[in-house]
Amino acid sequence: MITIENVSKIYEEDIIALENINLNFNEGELIVLKGVSGSGKSTILSLIAGLSKPTVGEVIVDGKKISKLPDHFATSFRRDNIGIVFQKYNLIPTLSVTDNVLLPLFPLNLSHEIMQEKAYRVLKKFTIEHKAAIMVRNLSGGEQQRVAIARANINDPKIILADEPTANLDEKLSLEFIEILRELKSKKRTIIIATHDPLFFDLDIVDKIVLIEHGKLL
Amino acid sequence: MTKINFYLLEYAYAYIIRNKIKNIFIITVFTLLVALLSTVFFITTTVEHEMKGRIEYKPDIIVEAYKAGVRSSVDEKLLEKLLEIHGISSGNLRLEGVYDFRAKNVRFYLYGVAPFEEVSDPFIKNILKNEELNSSNMLVSKDVKELMKQAYYDKYFNFIKPDGSFKKLYIKNYFNIKKRKEFQNLILLDQDALREIFGYKENQGSYIALSVANKNELDFIASKIRLMLPNVKVISKNDLNVSYEKLFNYDSGVFLSLFIISIFTFFIIIYDKANGLSSEEKREIGILKAIGWRVEDVLHAKFYEAALISFFSFTIGFLLAFIYVFILKAPLLGEIFMHQNLLDIHTFNLNIYLELSYSLLIFLLSVPVYIAATLIPSWRVATLDADEVMR
Repeated sequence: MITIENVSKIYEEDIIALENINLNFNEGELIVLKGVSGSGKSTILSLIAGLSKPTVGEVIVDGKKISKLPDHFATSFRRDNIGIVFQKYNLIPTLSVTDNVLLPLFPLNLSHEIMQEKAYRVLKKFTIEHKAAIMVRNLSGGEQQRVAIARANINDPKIILADEPTANLDEKLSLEFIEILRELKSKKRTIIIATHDPLFFDLDIVDKIVLIEHGKLL
Repeated sequence: MTKINFYLLEYAYAYIIRNKIKNIFIITVFTLLVALLSTVFFITTTVEHEMKGRIEYKPDIIVEAYKAGVRSSVDEKLLEKLLEIHGISSGNLRLEGVYDFRAKNVRFYLYGVAPFEEVSDPFIKNILKNEELNSSNMLVSKDVKELMKQAYYDKYFNFIKPDGSFKKLYIKNYFNIKKRKEFQNLILLDQDALREIFGYKENQGSYIALSVANKNELDFIASKIRLMLPNVKVISKNDLNVSYEKLFNYDSGVFLSLFIISIFTFFIIIYDKANGLSSEEKREIGILKAIGWRVEDVLHAKFYEAALISFFSFTIGFLLAFIYVFILKAPLLGEIFMHQNLLDIHTFNLNIYLELSYSLLIFLLSVPVYIAATLIPSWRVATLDADEVMR
C-alpha cells in the first residue's frame, strides 16, 4: 500500500531530516512512528501525503509514485485518498463546524444537497453533529479535534495520517481518540500516527511501531 | 462560462471577516482614494463639459465699449462702423445686463429680446417659442419667481431705474431651467423694458455681437477691430476658449496634484501587499493545499477575496464621489472652480455628467491592480511545497 524506498530528505542549509529510509506499510495497518520532536516523524507523514518531495528516493502510495507526481496531480490524489489530522487541528475559526468539515470539497462546487449529506454523515460518525452550525472558535479542544478528524474523513480516504494527535488533549479525550482509531481500523483504513505519546505504544490495535532518531530508522 | 463557486466565495468572505482590522483599513483607504479620484474626474469633466457648452452659443466676436476705463453702453453707430469691416457677415446690438437685487443679495441676469430677432441659444429660443413679450411683462426662472415672492413680489416686480423711479414688470410666466443651471437667475424681457431699467437710449445696447463668415479669420478680424478702435474691448470666441482653458488648466493643476498623491498612496499599499504574505496567511495556504486544494483553487478563493474588497470599495468610493459632487455640489473642493470668470458668466454648476472613459480608467487603475497584488504573492506561496509553507 505504502512504500518508501531509499528516501532521504535534506532541507535548506543542509539540514538532514531523513537519511536512507526504507519502509513498507500494508492496507488496513495502524502504524505508529515513534520518536522525539525533530526526529523526522512529521517529515515521513509529509512525504506520504505528497506535501513535500524527497531529495533522494521514491514514495509510492497505492501504486502511485506520489513523489514524482506534479503538484496538481499530487493535490488531487491527496484530496481523494489521504486524510490528515494536524497537531493543532488547523481549522478555520470563523467558519462553522460543517463548513470546516466540508472545506476539502469546496473547490469541487458540488450541489448543496450532496455537500449537506456528506457533512451530516461524517459529523454523525464522529458524534459532533449537534454542533454543526457552531463556529469552530467556540468549541472545546476535544470537539475541535473531532472536527479535524471529521474533515480528514470527509472523502472516506484509504489512508489517514495523524501528526501528534493527542499532544493537546487530556487523558480522557486521548482515550476517546483511540476509540475513533479503533473504529477506523475496523473499516480497513490504513492509519499512520506520528507521536511520542506512550499511550500508543502498548495498544492492541497497533500493528507496527517504527522507531526514528535523527532521521534514521532504529 | 465558469459557474460561481459559492463555497469559495463564502470562504473568501470568512477570510475577510477573520482579518477584520486589516481589511477595514484597506477598504477605508481604497474607498477614500477611489472617492477622491472620482471626485477629481467628476468635477473636471463636468466643468469642462459645461464650459464647452457655454462657449458654443456665444457670438463669434463681442465688442464692449469703455469710457475712461469704465464699461459703458454701446452705440448703434459703432455697429454700423463695424459692419463695414470686410469679413463680418452680420451683427446686432445686444441688450443684456446684471441687475443687483439688494433686498435678497442676488443678481438677476436680464436678457432683452426683440420680436423677429434670432436667438442663438436653443434653451432661450425654446422658452420664447410660444411667448410674446411687451414692455410691461417678463418671463422669469422658477428660482427668480421664488425669490421675488419672498420679497412679496408675487405678480410683478419693481426694478429701480437709474433716476430712482420704478419700472414695474408683470410676471407673465415662469420656466424651469432643467440642466441649464447658469440660467438660474435669468429674466427674459422686452428690449425696450431693459433699456429703461439700465437707462439706455433708443440706439444703445450693452454690447455688440458680431458674426464672422470665415471662422479661421476670427482672430485676424478681432485684432483689426482692436487696431481700429482702441477704446473698445474685443473678445473673440477663441479668446473665450483660451480664457476658459487657462482657468480650467490652472484649477486642473490643483486637482492633478491631488490625483498624483492619491495614486502614489494607492501604489504604496499595493507595493506593500504584493511584497508578501504574513506567516499566518502562508500557513493557511499550506493547510488548504494539505487538505486537497490545488494552486488554482487557492487562487480562485483569493480572487474572490480581492474582488469582494475591491468591488465593494470601488462602488462605495464611486457613490460617495457622486453624492459629494452632484448632490452636495462639492463643498470645499468645488470652490476651486466656483469663481466668477472674466466674462461675467454665472458661476459653474455641477450638473450630472459622467464620462465613462474616466470612470473606467479609475476602475482599471484600482480593481485589477488590487486583485493582481493579492493573487501574485498567493500564487508564489501556493506553488511551494505545502510542507515548506506550513513549517
